[in-house]
Amino acid sequence: MLLLQKTPRIYSVELNGAKDMKQTDKGDGKDKYRGLQDNCLELGKNQRKEHLTKEIDLDDHKLSNKELETKYHTNIVTGLSSTQAAELLARDGPNALSPPKETPEIIKFLKQMVGGFSILLWAGAILCWIAYGIQYSNDKSSSLDNVYLGAVLALVVILTGIFAYYQEAKSTNIMASFSKMIPQQALVIRDSEKKIIPAEQLVVGDIVEIKGGDQIPADIRLLFTQGCKVDNSSLTGESEPQSRSCEFTHDDPLETKNIGFYSTTCLEGTATGMVINTGDRTIIGQIASLASGVGNEKTPIAIEIQPFVHIVAGVAVSIGVLFFIIAVSMKYRVLDSIIFLIGIIVANVPEGLATVTVTLSLTAKRMAKKNCLVKNLEAVETLGSTSIICSDKTGTLTQNRMTVAHLWFDNQIFMADTSEDQLKQTFDQSSGTWASLSKIIALCNRAEFRPGQERVPIMKRVVVGDASETALLKFSEVVLGDVMEIRKRNHKVAEIPFNSTNKFQLSIHKTDDPIDKRFLMVMKGAPEKVLEKCSTIMVNGQEQPLNNTTAEAFYTAYMELGGLGERVLGFCHLYLPADEFPETYSFDVDAMNFPMSNLCFVGLLSMIDPPRSTVPDAITKCRSAGIKVIMVTGDHPITAKAIAKSVGIISANSETVEDIAKRLNIAVEQVNKQDAKAAVVTGTELKDMSEDQLDEVLTSYPEIVFARTSPQQKLIIVEGCQRQDAVVAVTGDGVNDSPALKKADIGIAMGIAGSDAAKNAADMVLLDDNFASIVTGVEEGRLIFDNLKKTIAYTLTKNIAELCPFLIYIIVGVPLPLGTITILFIDLGTDIVPSIALAYEKAESDIMNRKPRHKKKDRLVNEPLAVYSYLHIGIMQSLGAFLVYFTVYAQEGFRPSTLINLRVEWEKDFVNNLEDSYGQEWTRYQRKYLEWTGYTAFFIGIMVQQIADLIIRKTRRNSIFQQGLFRNKVIWVGIASQIIIALILSYGLGSITALNFTMLRPQYWFVAVPHAILIWVYDEMRKLFIRLYPGSKAGGDKNMYY
Amino acid sequence: MVIQKEKKSCGQVVEEWKEFVWNPRTHQFMGRTGTSWAFILLFYFVFYGFLTAMFTLTMWVMLQTVSDHTPKYQDRLATPGLMIRPKTENLDVVVNVSDTESWDQHVQKLNKFLEPYNDSIQAQKNDVCRPGRYYEQPDNGVLNYPKRACQFNRTQLGDCSGIGDPTHYGYSTGQPCVFIKMNRVINFYAGANQSMNVTCAGKRDEDAENLGSFVMFPANGNIDLMYFPYYGKKFHVNYTQPLVAVKFLNVTPNVEVNVECRINAVNIATDDERDKFAGRVAFKLRINKT
Repeated sequence: MLLLQKTPRIYSVELNGAKDMKQTDKGDGKDKYRGLQDNCLELGKNQRKEHLTKEIDLDDHKLSNKELETKYHTNIVTGLSSTQAAELLARDGPNALSPPKETPEIIKFLKQMVGGFSILLWAGAILCWIAYGIQYSNDKSSSLDNVYLGAVLALVVILTGIFAYYQEAKSTNIMASFSKMIPQQALVIRDSEKKIIPAEQLVVGDIVEIKGGDQIPADIRLLFTQGCKVDNSSLTGESEPQSRSCEFTHDDPLETKNIGFYSTTCLEGTATGMVINTGDRTIIGQIASLASGVGNEKTPIAIEIQPFVHIVAGVAVSIGVLFFIIAVSMKYRVLDSIIFLIGIIVANVPEGLATVTVTLSLTAKRMAKKNCLVKNLEAVETLGSTSIICSDKTGTLTQNRMTVAHLWFDNQIFMADTSEDQLKQTFDQSSGTWASLSKIIALCNRAEFRPGQERVPIMKRVVVGDASETALLKFSEVVLGDVMEIRKRNHKVAEIPFNSTNKFQLSIHKTDDPIDKRFLMVMKGAPEKVLEKCSTIMVNGQEQPLNNTTAEAFYTAYMELGGLGERVLGFCHLYLPADEFPETYSFDVDAMNFPMSNLCFVGLLSMIDPPRSTVPDAITKCRSAGIKVIMVTGDHPITAKAIAKSVGIISANSETVEDIAKRLNIAVEQVNKQDAKAAVVTGTELKDMSEDQLDEVLTSYPEIVFARTSPQQKLIIVEGCQRQDAVVAVTGDGVNDSPALKKADIGIAMGIAGSDAAKNAADMVLLDDNFASIVTGVEEGRLIFDNLKKTIAYTLTKNIAELCPFLIYIIVGVPLPLGTITILFIDLGTDIVPSIALAYEKAESDIMNRKPRHKKKDRLVNEPLAVYSYLHIGIMQSLGAFLVYFTVYAQEGFRPSTLINLRVEWEKDFVNNLEDSYGQEWTRYQRKYLEWTGYTAFFIGIMVQQIADLIIRKTRRNSIFQQGLFRNKVIWVGIASQIIIALILSYGLGSITALNFTMLRPQYWFVAVPHAILIWVYDEMRKLFIRLYPGSKAGGDKNMYY
Repeated sequence: MVIQKEKKSCGQVVEEWKEFVWNPRTHQFMGRTGTSWAFILLFYFVFYGFLTAMFTLTMWVMLQTVSDHTPKYQDRLATPGLMIRPKTENLDVVVNVSDTESWDQHVQKLNKFLEPYNDSIQAQKNDVCRPGRYYEQPDNGVLNYPKRACQFNRTQLGDCSGIGDPTHYGYSTGQPCVFIKMNRVINFYAGANQSMNVTCAGKRDEDAENLGSFVMFPANGNIDLMYFPYYGKKFHVNYTQPLVAVKFLNVTPNVEVNVECRINAVNIATDDERDKFAGRVAFKLRINKT
C-alpha cells in the first residue's frame, strides 16, 4: 500500500509526503481522493503545482483584512451572526466534499458476478446449454432438463452475486457510519462567542481558531498566527512542514503563507483565520472533483480467501476433467460425460461461501460496541495477528489523572486507594497529625469544582486547576467532605501561588476555631524546599524539634516514594502568634511580611497517575497470548518503570540490569545481561544506539520500557520491531505520532485525547482510550480468523459427500445417488444458516494462550484443514449418506448387488420393465421416482451428518463439552433451520417433482445417525489427542490441527 | 498500515517446487520424511480399514432388515406397467417387408423370448391350473418353497405362436405380431377377482384408420387370473408370465401408426399422467412396402 521512504531517515515531524495521503485522507470517509493521489504521484511536484494553479482562481490572499471583512460581510472580532451563518449554510450547502464518482455500482455488481467461484458455475451453466444443444441437434424432442439446470446455475450465480454485492455495500456503509462517529469539529467565533461546531456547518466568513494537531476545517485566510506550521503534503506533496503567517508573500495562492487549506493539518502553533471557501469549492474539493475512479485494495481476508478459491477450483476442474476422460474412455457418450462434468463442478463449489463476508461486518459492529472503532475492515484481522503492542503510558495504561497514592506522617507510610471510583479512604485517620495535614491539603489549594456538579460522583467532577491540585482537591473532598465549605469557614487572607522558582505554594487563613484567633499559615511544595523552612516536625499531633533522626526518616520516606515514580509534595504549617499578627494585620505577599522559617513540618503526600484497573489483566492476557507489550513514554524512567511494574509490563520477579547491579552491589557493566529480563531504555540511550543494538535490545529482553522518548523515536522503535518480523500495533494521540501510527501494521489512535492527525493516520480508534480495549480487539481479531476457519471447514466437508455420488455413479454404474439440483439445495439451503451461525461462535478457551498468527506462514485454509475436511469427515459423511441411499433402494427391491452397472438400462426411457432383485418389473417413471427418493435420502443423510459436522466445528482444540453446547444459541437456530428446510423440501414440496424431492419415510431420517455420532466421537478423539500431546507429531498437531 | 508485497521470480518458484518434491537437507519427499510418510500411510490404512469395516457392518445390519423373498415396500409398484415384445429401441416396430434383415432381428428375439413357452417345457415344469381363479399358495406358517406356476402354452398364442410359421410371426408378410405383457409385481392380485383383458387402439383418429384390423390371442386379449399372484423370483422359480399377442392384419403401409394397448382391470388405473406406461403401453408401428 504505502511505504515510508527508507532513506534518508529524517525523523522530523513531517508526515512523509504525498505517498501517505491515502492514510491521511481516510479520516472522515475521504478516501475518495485516491484518484487524485494517483494523479499527484504521476506529476512532479512543480508540474503538479502548475497544474493546480491553472484550476484555481483565488485572490483572497492579496486582500487586506478590511477588504476581506467587506467581501464576506463579516467581522474579524465578533464573527458572523448565527442568522447570517444559517443563511449562508442554506445557500452554499454543508462544508463537506461531495462523494466522488465511485466505481459505478453496476461494475461492482458485475465484478461479484464473475469473481471467485462464479466463473466455474457459469462454465457449468454454459456446459448445460451446450449439452442441450447437442441433444437438440440429435433429437428435436429432447427434454429441457439441461436448459433448466443451466438456468438454475445462472440464477445461483446471480443470487450469490447479489448477496455478496449487498454485503459489500453494507460493510462499506458500516465503515462510513463509523467514520461519522469521529466527527471533525471546529472552534468558531459567532455572535462574539467561541463555539465548537461540527466542521460541516462552517460557512464562508466564519472566523475559526486552529491549534497544533487540528485538521484545517476549510480553506482559510489567516488573520493571526503564532508559530503556526502546517503539513501540506496531502495537497502539494511538500513533505516539510510549512510555516504560516498572515502576510501575503506570493501571487500564487498555493505558495503564499497566509492561506491554510482544507484537509491539511496544523502541526504546531495556533492561528485564527477566516473561511474563504467551503466544501467542493475548496482547493482540495476542486481537485477531488477532477479526479475519478477508486481502486479497491484487497483486504487480508480477501488475500486469504483467494488461494482457497484457487485450490478448490483447481480440485474441481482437475477432478472434473479427470472423470470426463475416464467417462469417455469407459465409452460413455460425450454428452453424458459433459453432464458428469457439470455435476462434479457443482458438487465441488461451495456456493454458500458468500456468507463469510457477513462475519467481517458482524465483528466490526461487535468491536464498535466494545469501544474499538475500526476504520478499515482488514484492521480487525490484522489486530488478531498482532505480536507486539507499543503502548503509550499516559491515558492508555493510566487513568490520565493524578491521584493521591501515598501519605507519610507520624513516621509511617500510608497507602491511599487509587482505583477509578474511590468512595472513601481506609487508612488510619485518628492521629492528630492527620487532622493538621488534612487541613493543609484542603486549604493550600487553588483548584475548585465547577459549580452545579453536586450529584456527579467526586471522581468524575470537572475541576478548574492543574493536575496535582485537582488530585488533592478530590482527595480531600473524599476524606473531609465539602471542601469548599471548609475553605469558606477558613477565610483566605493572603496567598502565594506555586511557581517553578520558589517551588512552593503558601496561603494564610483565618481559622474557623472561634477561640483561637491566630492566623494559620499553610504551605505545600517540593519536600526538600519545605523541609528547609521547618524547624519542628509534628508526630502524633505533637510538635517536636526537627533533629537528624527525624530528618533521616523524612529522607528515607521521600526517597522511597520518589522511587515509586510518584510526585511527592511536602506539607507544613505555622500558627502565627496572635500578638504579632492581630486580626487586622494586613499581609503583603510581595513584601513577605510574615515568617518564612521555623515552620512545623506535618507530612508528605505522593501522587501518581495510577494505572487503569483493567490494564494489569489485559497485560497478563497479552503475555499469555504471546504478545509483547512495550511501553513507550515521554515520562521519567522511574515513573515509567513504576507504572510498568504495577501493570505488569515488567513482571514482579524480573529485574533490569540496574536492579541486579544494585542488588549485588556491583557495577552495571559487570552484570551478566542474560540474567536481566527487563530493560528500561531512555530516549538519550536510544539516540546513541545503532540499528543492530536496538535489534539486540528488542530481541533479548522480553520486557521493555522506553522512557523519555520523543514521538519521533517511537517510529524508530516501531521499525525495530518490524525488523523482528513482528506485527506491530502502536497507540498514539499527538500529531507527532502520525508517522509511527502509519508505519505500524496497525495504528491505534485515542478517541478522547487523540488529535485529528493521529485519528486520520490510525487504522483504529479507541473510543475510551483504554489499553484493555486493544486486547479485546486482539481477541476479536483472532476470533474472526478462527471462526472463518470453522465456517470454511464446515462448508468444505460436504463437498466430498456431494462429489462421491458422481464418482461412484460413473465408476460403479449405480443409479445417480444425488442430483445436481439437490446439491444446490444443500449448499444454498440447509447449509447457509449454520455457516453463518459459526461466526457467532464464542472464543475457545485457548484463544489468548496461543502465539500470534504468523501472517505469512499460518494460512486461513491450510493443508490440515483441507485434508481433515475432505479425507476424514468428508469420507465418513459420504459413507453415511450412501448407507441411507442403499437402504432406500434395498427396501424398495433393489439390493446393492443388483444396482451395480444398472445405470445404462436404468436410464433408458423405453425400458419399462426393468427387473429388480425380486423379479418385479419397473417402468421408467417408477424408477425415476425411486431415483428422486434416493436423492432425498442422500440429501437427508448429508443433512443429518452436517448437524454433527456443525457441532464438531464449534471448536478446533477444546472438547465440545468444555466449550458448552448451548453457549452459542445461533448454532441451534442453524440446526433448526437445517431440519426445517429439509422437512419442507421432503414433505412440503414432496408432490412437486420438478425439484426432485419426494416424501421420505420417517425412519430413513435416522439411518445416518450412527455415522453422525461416529463423526462426533472421532472428532472428540482427535481433539483429545491434540490436547494430550500438544505439538507432537504423533498427536497430530501438524496433520490434524487446522 | 503498511502492506509489503513480495514478488517471486519464476526461477525461485521452480526452485521452491524442486525443494518441495525432494529436500536433500531434511530428506523430505513432498514435505515429509520417510518415517512421516510411513506413519501417515499406516494411519490412513487403519483409518480407512476401520471405515470400511464400519460401513460393511452397517450395510449388513441394514440388509438384515430386508427379506430374501419379498421386498419391504412396494408402494411404487401399485400399478404394474405394460410392455411389448419385440423390445425395440424407443419402442418403434419398423418392418421393411422386402428387407429381411430389418425384421429378422425381431424374429430372433421373439424366438428366444418364446422358447420357455414351448408346450413341452411348460408341461414338464408347470401345473395345469383351474382358469378363472387365483392360484394362491400361502405359506401357512411353513415356508412353501418352491411355489408352483401355471402353464402358459405357446400354442395358446395361435397365429402368433410362431410354431411352423413360414411368415415369421407375420413379419415377412407385413402382418406382424406384437406381444403385450404386464410387469410382474409380487403379491399383486391383478383384476381383483374379475376377468381382465388387453385392448389396443390407434392413439388418434387417423391412427385408428391406419391401424386397420387386428386379432388377439388368446381371444379378446384375455389374461387369466390363474397366473396371479406372483411370488417373486426366489419362490416362483418357473413362473411364466401370461402374454397377449396382437396380430395387425392390414396396417396402412409406409405410415407411422401410434398404437396404444391398455389393460382393462378393476384394480389397475391406466390414466396416470406422469407414468405413461402404467397399465398401458404405447408404441409405433410402421410397415414399409415398396
